Amino acid sequence: MFRVCLVQKRRYFDSMFLMQVSQRLRAEPGIQEAAVLMGTPANVQILKGLGFSSPELEGAGPDDLVVAVAGASEDQVRQALAKLEGWLQAGRAAAEGAPKTLVQALAHLPEANLAVISLPGWHAGREAKNALEHGLNVFLFSSNVPVEEEVALKRLAQAKGLLVMGPDCGTALVAGVGLGFANAVRRGPVGLIAASGTGAQEFTSLIHRAGSGISHALGTGGRDFSDAVGGLTALTAFSALVEDPATEIIVFLAKPPGPETLARLAAHVRRSPKPVVACFLGVIPERVRREWPGRLTTTIDEAVVATLELLSLPRPPFLSGDPAALAALAEEERKKLLPRQRFVRGIFAGGTFCYQAQLLFHLARVPFRSNAPLSEEYALLNPLRSEGHTLLDMGEEFFTQGRLHPMIDPTLRRERILAEAEDPEVAVLLLDFVLGYNASPDPVGDLLPALQEARERARRRGGDLLLVASVCGTEADPQGFARQVERLENAKVRVFPTQAQAVQFVLTFLGRRA
Amino acid sequence: MSEAKTGVQRLLREGPKAINLGLKEFAEALAAQGAKVVHVDWSPPPPEAQELADLLEKLL
Repeated sequence: MFRVCLVQKRRYFDSMFLMQVSQRLRAEPGIQEAAVLMGTPANVQILKGLGFSSPELEGAGPDDLVVAVAGASEDQVRQALAKLEGWLQAGRAAAEGAPKTLVQALAHLPEANLAVISLPGWHAGREAKNALEHGLNVFLFSSNVPVEEEVALKRLAQAKGLLVMGPDCGTALVAGVGLGFANAVRRGPVGLIAASGTGAQEFTSLIHRAGSGISHALGTGGRDFSDAVGGLTALTAFSALVEDPATEIIVFLAKPPGPETLARLAAHVRRSPKPVVACFLGVIPERVRREWPGRLTTTIDEAVVATLELLSLPRPPFLSGDPAALAALAEEERKKLLPRQRFVRGIFAGGTFCYQAQLLFHLARVPFRSNAPLSEEYALLNPLRSEGHTLLDMGEEFFTQGRLHPMIDPTLRRERILAEAEDPEVAVLLLDFVLGYNASPDPVGDLLPALQEARERARRRGGDLLLVASVCGTEADPQGFARQVERLENAKVRVFPTQAQAVQFVLTFLGRRA
Repeated sequence: MSEAKTGVQRLLREGPKAINLGLKEFAEALAAQGAKVVHVDWSPPPPEAQELADLLEKLL
């Protein structure tokens, strides 16, 4: 085998483009392994793990392009590298004439009111500050922005009457337009302020499917409700929604806030002329229950139901689960399995879906393990090895270093499904499928062959595999909600209308409904 | 209404008119939804420029 590891100083491409280029390179004749990455410390470690090394690699920095290729012969590797250079140059040429900086771009669009930033974390903060100084609101998708920098950006935004959504903000809907991972949702009276991306996607999609709509869904980033940040974005967003004529009801969706942040939010909610619903995902401490002046819910489904009630809208049939029917269904599924098949393995793309599943398991007193645990007692020792009931967040840092999010790149979820199928004690695979802008064009199609193969393996042992899923999205999404659900159902996957209901079914199957 | 509130309010009233820095797909998705967007062909600033900016930040 012939291996090459080259470093090109100060040459930048975005991670999505580099993933596509890496995939094309791997498909070249004789190429066994190929990775084209920016030289971040995590990526350098990944390449070393794959057996690549060179003195240049040791000196690579995060703004340097690293090309690592292994192939059957030197000739084949050289040919592949020549093709790669062509693709990289074509990628740059496609952007010929495009503005090179934020200031140049403003000359093209002087009426701009927002900067959408998904640069690497170590550059993102500086560009966000620059955008604020030019009077732009910021949607900051990037993660790895230090909390001190987040607070400084949000204080600057506050002083300028601007909004910073993020860092680590996956989703927003502004006047019907989706930013980042967002679903095609009709406009309506419900305003959302959300710390979680997939949580916002599930809530807005369910409101749409229930017949209502969203005025704006504003993201805050995951840390905003902690006392370290103090709800700076949440408060700005709240004031904006209070004054927004299209918004009739305001909903908060976050983990339970820190004590100081809670007090601050509660003071604003008390004075609010519009009704407020809070969905604080997590074990809600007594002080939060005592102090919160509005409606308080703990699952996304409950928040949707509370919102519909405030709008005097009927509860749609898909939000009215029938426990007896679920129990009968669970019993029917149980008969197909062997007695030793006992364990649930949740393999989630959405962080909030993993979190909500854990919460429901916790409330039902079913012990489990997770790589992104609700609390330390549930921590999974090795993310690569499930133990008992295991609920995995495949979008967690361990799995996404040097890769794209599992909502775009299904490779690791596919591998994990097949790995879990090797365990004869596994009874249930619990999955989420997230539709919408910027997600995979066919989330169900990405995993269906692996799910069928997994079930086949269990059948060869004389048992079966119970496949349970929820699909987050709407009919207007590019992937089409009904089409995705139908393909799962045709493959005998049990699909539930919401993620919380899918989890409740699994708990019913375990005889432990929350 | 104070000037401070105008920036956020303008965004909600007009909808996003965006400058995109980073993943090109985000700009494409915005354009597909009918929003105005300009994509920046971004590169990291040279290290000297970064150091100068950091130094200015400390001094000012």
